[in-house]
Amino acid sequence: MTSFFTGKVSFVLKLIVVLLLSSVLVTLTQSAFAQKEYFIAAFLAITILLLLLTYLTKISIPLKFFLPGVLLLVAFVLSPILYTVTMSTYNYKTGNIVSKGEAIEQIQNRAFESDADGTSFDIKIGRYERKEAILISDTINGEYFISTEDNRIPLVAADLTINEYGVAESAPNFETLSDADMASADELYSLKRFKYQDEYFIALEGFEVGIVSRQVLAFNEVKDQFENIISGEIYIDNGRGNFAIAGSPDQYLEPGWRAPIWFENYTKLFTEERLRGPLISVFIWTITFATLSVLTTFALGLLLALALNKPIRGRRVYRSILILPYAMPSIMSILIWGGMFNTEFGAINNLLGTDIAWFQSPTFAKFAIILVNLWLGFPYFYLISSGALQAIPSELLEAASIDGANPRQIFRRITMPLLLQILSPLLIASFAFNFNNFNLIYLLTGGGPRAELDGELAGATDILISFTYKIAFGGSIQDLGLASAISLVIFILVASISMYGLRKSKVLESFQ
Amino acid sequence: MPLAHFFFTQKVDNRAPRLKNGLLDRGFNPRSTSLVFYTLVYTMNPWRKLMTKKRFSAVGFIAAVAIAVSGLVVPSANAAEEIVVWADESRGANLKKALAVKGDWVPGYTITVKAFSNFDALKDAFDKATDASGPDIIMGANDWVPTGGKSGKLAPVTLTAAQKARFTPGQLFDLTYKGKLYGVPVDVNNVAMIYNTKLVTTAPKTFGDMVAYYKANKTSKSLKAGLCVAGGGMSWGAHSIFSALGADAYQFNSRDKIVYDRSFNGTTFGKNVRTYLLDGKKSNGFLPASDAGCKDNFLAGTVPYAVIGNWEWSDYVAKGFTMNLMPVPGVVAGKPGKMFGSVSGALLTTYAAKHGVEAGAKSLLTNFFGSTAGQVLYQKYEGRPPAEKGAALDATVTDAQRGFGAAASLASIPQIGAFLNNNAGGAPYWDSAPAYWTAVLVDGKDAVTEGNKLAAIWRANTAAGKADL
Repeated sequence: MTSFFTGKVSFVLKLIVVLLLSSVLVTLTQSAFAQKEYFIAAFLAITILLLLLTYLTKISIPLKFFLPGVLLLVAFVLSPILYTVTMSTYNYKTGNIVSKGEAIEQIQNRAFESDADGTSFDIKIGRYERKEAILISDTINGEYFISTEDNRIPLVAADLTINEYGVAESAPNFETLSDADMASADELYSLKRFKYQDEYFIALEGFEVGIVSRQVLAFNEVKDQFENIISGEIYIDNGRGNFAIAGSPDQYLEPGWRAPIWFENYTKLFTEERLRGPLISVFIWTITFATLSVLTTFALGLLLALALNKPIRGRRVYRSILILPYAMPSIMSILIWGGMFNTEFGAINNLLGTDIAWFQSPTFAKFAIILVNLWLGFPYFYLISSGALQAIPSELLEAASIDGANPRQIFRRITMPLLLQILSPLLIASFAFNFNNFNLIYLLTGGGPRAELDGELAGATDILISFTYKIAFGGSIQDLGLASAISLVIFILVASISMYGLRKSKVLESFQ
Repeated sequence: MPLAHFFFTQKVDNRAPRLKNGLLDRGFNPRSTSLVFYTLVYTMNPWRKLMTKKRFSAVGFIAAVAIAVSGLVVPSANAAEEIVVWADESRGANLKKALAVKGDWVPGYTITVKAFSNFDALKDAFDKATDASGPDIIMGANDWVPTGGKSGKLAPVTLTAAQKARFTPGQLFDLTYKGKLYGVPVDVNNVAMIYNTKLVTTAPKTFGDMVAYYKANKTSKSLKAGLCVAGGGMSWGAHSIFSALGADAYQFNSRDKIVYDRSFNGTTFGKNVRTYLLDGKKSNGFLPASDAGCKDNFLAGTVPYAVIGNWEWSDYVAKGFTMNLMPVPGVVAGKPGKMFGSVSGALLTTYAAKHGVEAGAKSLLTNFFGSTAGQVLYQKYEGRPPAEKGAALDATVTDAQRGFGAAASLASIPQIGAFLNNNAGGAPYWDSAPAYWTAVLVDGKDAVTEGNKLAAIWRANTAAGKADL
């Protein structure tokens, strides 16, 4: 066996695998670097070094087993968490997405205005005296000129080749770019501002048309502010990711950038009436929903496990059938249940002969959610309860019955406490899962019913996570910073409730 | 340089045999770290006879080849001469077909179309696009313009007076945000009401005519509803019904200017709803509160009137229906309900400049997407009413496409995202409109009370949305 791990062949194989992996990672590093993703590039570079160090040396044997896990943990668990924590302190929403440098660049690109008449000219692109230039035909006035960045050279129509539309095709000393050259000169020419008159310049709108425009805003790098050249207004950095006129916060330039606003996203949860009111009711329903889900699924799962714990005919068939809801993708089950609860043509109303609008009434909608979650969740508890029941030593039960305990007493005094001892970590995990059971709520009721006309922000069945989604992505503004803050609050809540539960159930002690 | 000294004075032979040790008995050896540096150094300086063992030359060789190969296969960003257009599945496929017929709209460039599986996937991808991956042009809805302009994902274009004249001012307004235009209008989206001539022989003149027909024939013809919304949902598609009963999303004065601080009369609207849609407190069955099943029911002949979208007319033609299109008639004759008219556009992104194809992309917008020839060619496959005036008059445009245009010209209202997406009133138009139907037609709440709530919400949204125009 050891020869499999040593030997020359295995060494070469290892070398090939490690180096191929490194070469893939080098590719990714270069690509990340080229896309200016320096964090990712640095992480990949460190990964390569660690891989080589671990697998080509004998620095640490355990590390050879742990390293892949550690690297993946950092990449896919730790970094998203850190990113969320960071972003929860930022003004990061629609309108404040890009970096400051990019925002400045885009404000400058947009800060031009056409002249009053919206003058446009037919143009030809080329070079004049070895400089980038455009040949301009003012067909309305029958005037022609060449513009470079610094000069405007008037031309005489007689010297030019003019086509049937009155557009100059060529001029003396003007070297027209060929179609093929034009494509590669795109970037160069698009950014140029060709001389027109006074503060007006001509900018390219495609390869055939030039528009007369002027710059309206200028960026003052020293003072870090934009100045309106025409009206004299000054836009300063408002510390929240926008250039705005001092004293009138509504007058700001777009786009903004993501800027740190520290704890504002958190304080907003408690100070903004729009969020605070619904947050409390949503929190109460979240706790109720998660608790009821765990209790009902556990109760039904345990009941079935107890029933099938004794040898009865067709036990295997029953068992397989009971696991079916668990085997089916929950998204499909939820959608099917959604259809069955439909008021007009749903199976449930048809069978009951009622016309209940299930998802229009808060009570019925809540009931439907608990019911569907019971369907989705009981097989899990059935499975683990049957397993746990097997693990209870039968001597204990026998001893109890010899001592004269009836089955109910045995269950209450022996089976149940032992089961809870084994299952409480799973019950708590199930609680944490249901606390964030976004799929079920989103697909079944969408958080509704909600009285939109009364200005309600949260629906009757919204849990914290679906409410967060609604705030972050529901409207036309995607507030990623606020959503990150709520996610962290949820994380802290779930973590503390779980910790408390684990303490209470003394599970942690029993492991010591 | 003690570190370099350490690496270069080590004798390779001392450590090499250790590599042969078994997996389990290999201990921690800090000195062996230098091996990896030997590997790297050897790779960089293959001429040095630093490492003589065969396996080290193998390491060096493989590493050198791997690094050389990886250098060659670095994925490049969009090449300079390529213009990348993103579209959803139907538009993407049809654009590819149109461009296959004629692709040289901008000399020197190749045009690559990336089709996404659906409209939401396209929007999602655009939300997550990066400098390297982003498109140069994206085919999107007009309500992308405010958010795209706000976030700096879309770039402004300036059309010449001649180019502007190819479109109506309303179409250009649809793609304008804060005074800047972000693309060219490609086709028109609207709805119109169709009536089934096998059931009703003449076009209804008032809303009351339709209700009367429904009540008279409900049992005898086993009608499932009188009027339903098959296209555009209970918010966008249903606006013409709101409007027919007196609830327009925003108000215009007599000179067609928007009035920001006024809304429709909630009481009048509520009373109309009571008269035409309710039977006491319950729905009279004329208008279902949801659009589910509407298209199938209409096609099956169990609903006489339906609001349908102009993108799906061919489904109706295929079932043998003639396109009897009209606006939803109002409560008084001659005052039909206004439908939303909007355009889909080819929008310029800020990525075009980053990819160095801005001028080319702008040329493609005017030469292809916004030109008569380009729209005629494209709509031959896409089948929607073209926005460009010349293309709209072209002989290839079908009667159905024209029918929608004609209905829209009788009664339409621009779809202004700044108002409709705003939620200053507590809910945007898109949520509050369907909520009204549910509240009144399903939950049995009072039509007038809810109507006044709706009016207040829309007024607040319009007033607050003014800043985003």
